[in-house]
Amino acid sequence: MIRKNAGTNELVVRRARVLDPGAGLDGVMDVRLSDGRVSEVGDNLRGGRELEADGLHLFPGFVDVHAHWRTPGREDEETIESGSASAAAGGFTGVVMMPNTDPIVDSPVIVSGLARRIERESRVRAQISAALHVGLRGERLTEMRLLKEAGALCVSDDGLGTASAGVLRNGMMYARSAGLPLILHCEDHTLATGVVHDGVAASLAGIPGSPASAEDVATATALILAAETGATTHITHVSTTLSAALVAFFKDRADVTADTTPHHLTLTDDLVSTLEGLYRVNPPLRPDADRSGVGEALRDGVLDFVATDHAPHASEEKELPLEEAAPGFLGHETAFAALYTELVLPGKLTLARLVEAMGCAPGRWVGEGGSLAVGGPADLVLVDLSERWTVDAGTMISRSSNSPYLGRTLTGRVVGTIVGGEVVYDRTGAQLGTRG
Amino acid sequence: MGIKSFLSLEDAGREELREILTLARAHAEGRVANTLAGKTVCLAFFEASTRTAVSFDLAARRCGADVISLSDKGSSISKGESLVDTVVTLDCLGADAVVLRHPAAGAAALASRYTSAPVINAGDGCGQHPTQALLDLYALSEAVGGFDRLAGRRVAVIGDVLHSRVARSVIPAFTKAGMEISLVAPRTLLPSDAGAWGLPVLPSVDYALDWGADVLYTLRLQKERMTGARVPSVGEYARFYGVSRRHLRGGTLVMHPGPVNRGVEISGDVVLDAASLIPNQVAAGIAVRSAVLTVATGAADRVAA
Repeated sequence: MIRKNAGTNELVVRRARVLDPGAGLDGVMDVRLSDGRVSEVGDNLRGGRELEADGLHLFPGFVDVHAHWRTPGREDEETIESGSASAAAGGFTGVVMMPNTDPIVDSPVIVSGLARRIERESRVRAQISAALHVGLRGERLTEMRLLKEAGALCVSDDGLGTASAGVLRNGMMYARSAGLPLILHCEDHTLATGVVHDGVAASLAGIPGSPASAEDVATATALILAAETGATTHITHVSTTLSAALVAFFKDRADVTADTTPHHLTLTDDLVSTLEGLYRVNPPLRPDADRSGVGEALRDGVLDFVATDHAPHASEEKELPLEEAAPGFLGHETAFAALYTELVLPGKLTLARLVEAMGCAPGRWVGEGGSLAVGGPADLVLVDLSERWTVDAGTMISRSSNSPYLGRTLTGRVVGTIVGGEVVYDRTGAQLGTRG
Repeated sequence: MGIKSFLSLEDAGREELREILTLARAHAEGRVANTLAGKTVCLAFFEASTRTAVSFDLAARRCGADVISLSDKGSSISKGESLVDTVVTLDCLGADAVVLRHPAAGAAALASRYTSAPVINAGDGCGQHPTQALLDLYALSEAVGGFDRLAGRRVAVIGDVLHSRVARSVIPAFTKAGMEISLVAPRTLLPSDAGAWGLPVLPSVDYALDWGADVLYTLRLQKERMTGARVPSVGEYARFYGVSRRHLRGGTLVMHPGPVNRGVEISGDVVLDAASLIPNQVAAGIAVRSAVLTVATGAADRVAA
């Protein structure tokens, strides 16, 4: 559908407020995109096609290393087409797809099949995370070198985690020799016996809770093994202050990075008292002390970046009591606005750090995108920081509508997304005002 | 009073409780009849229940209602029909009240969003069991000589608070009635943030009596939780958290929502002792549920209580 890096057209984005902490850009300037790459950044650039972006902010395209596009198996909830359109609408130009689909992405033929469908259907640069173990059952390792040859970027145990520390240790050693980084979901299932955070709201409401230790114990295990094996390890969806502190301790002892999610940065387990299935997510929403602790860790760079854990669910899996609802939230379309509204506007996080955490840092982890450096891919997002909008199920681009922000009014809206020099999202439908 | 749901007692007011108990007394004394004539009460039980289902059924029939019963055996519920679809169906059939039992907390609140009929929570997961707490309050107030004489009395809630919907309804109801409450349980049977209730936690029934408990409210310990990770043995549980004859001194009352595990929560010779309100609790169920159904359907307007 969109041929990346194949555009021969030139496009000059004029007069945008450019911010890219990674490339050291901050100011009103023009950006020339040629042949799918950023070719020039400066003043008074002119070109065959021009896009007047006066009043808009221009950031490097966001990169989301944690998304569930439900393909194969649950195309009623999301497809590569709809997931990538949803990502583009959120300003994401790069996405990593998680392997816990049906079937699990644990064999080279599934990886190569997905890669071909991405080529045909994805509006953004989608990458594949294959499973760390066969069937994500935590027993037999996958054929990691063949998975890599088939096109996998990394391996992951997302959705369940790895119950056995011994299996995890072997998986990390083998992944290292295969040259694959790992994305780890840290959850101890002997502790995680509930469906929400085991706190005040759960105690009062009588909803079975899982303690924070369910995450912290597994995070500690993963970090210790990362240090021991030397594997390139990424801890995803860190949601507690203690897990963030553990990551900090291991930062110079292991090859480790970590992310947290927009919802863990902006919402708390107070929502459990609504008893609504919509608010079930894993790891669960935490108390305010963890929400702010994780936010400080993101600010300080202990947590390297943000990933959304975009997890679409059909309405029949969410219109249920909390205990029976499927865990997970939509993430792509609200990520920037939620974080800009809840963290940047109140002064808890700088806009530059948010751009770094959504674009530059995850772009470096993936190895492409997240930068406006000359010569790099022309992946960028245009944002109107003044627009206030209300999150509405009816206007979601995802096939699902399970956003925890439904009904909330947020500030800051993505108005256009460009991948490889091609406009892949244009909110107003006016070709972003390009002319020429 | 208009139509209202009974989903939870967390926010019940003192006057509201008094009003329902007064109406229940009128029902118990046979001073009102046929308050639900021409109305249809639907019992939707997604979880096995004997006494609660029978009690609601009798209560509705005695008030003249037509009763439709759906249970997990031999109904659309057993065919996997969702909670939401079942409730919508009952709504379309013209239910005037839906009595719901469900294994997940919050089910009654969810159901209430899909029907214009009042939903009466007959127990949802570990969440709430409002009519149980109301009948407990009724039985106790009758035993002490009236609602206003409940104030200042001390109740020890003993046992598996963690998994108890009864506890989550009884605690706010007893508190609103002016009683003081303590919790008596091992840490493994308390919610992690039991402190959120702001109640003292005591280590045994003996301590509860020293604390001045007038009422020992024991909770059922499910069979599967009697041994293993939360409780080491029945013997140890009964020794510290079981009520036995030696605890019955100075007019202490014993309550239990049933069914009792004799020799576990309460020793066999205490269950039917004069100090036990357990038969009174069961008997109160019909009058209290009649009153609840009457209030819920808005029929209380026509009752001169």
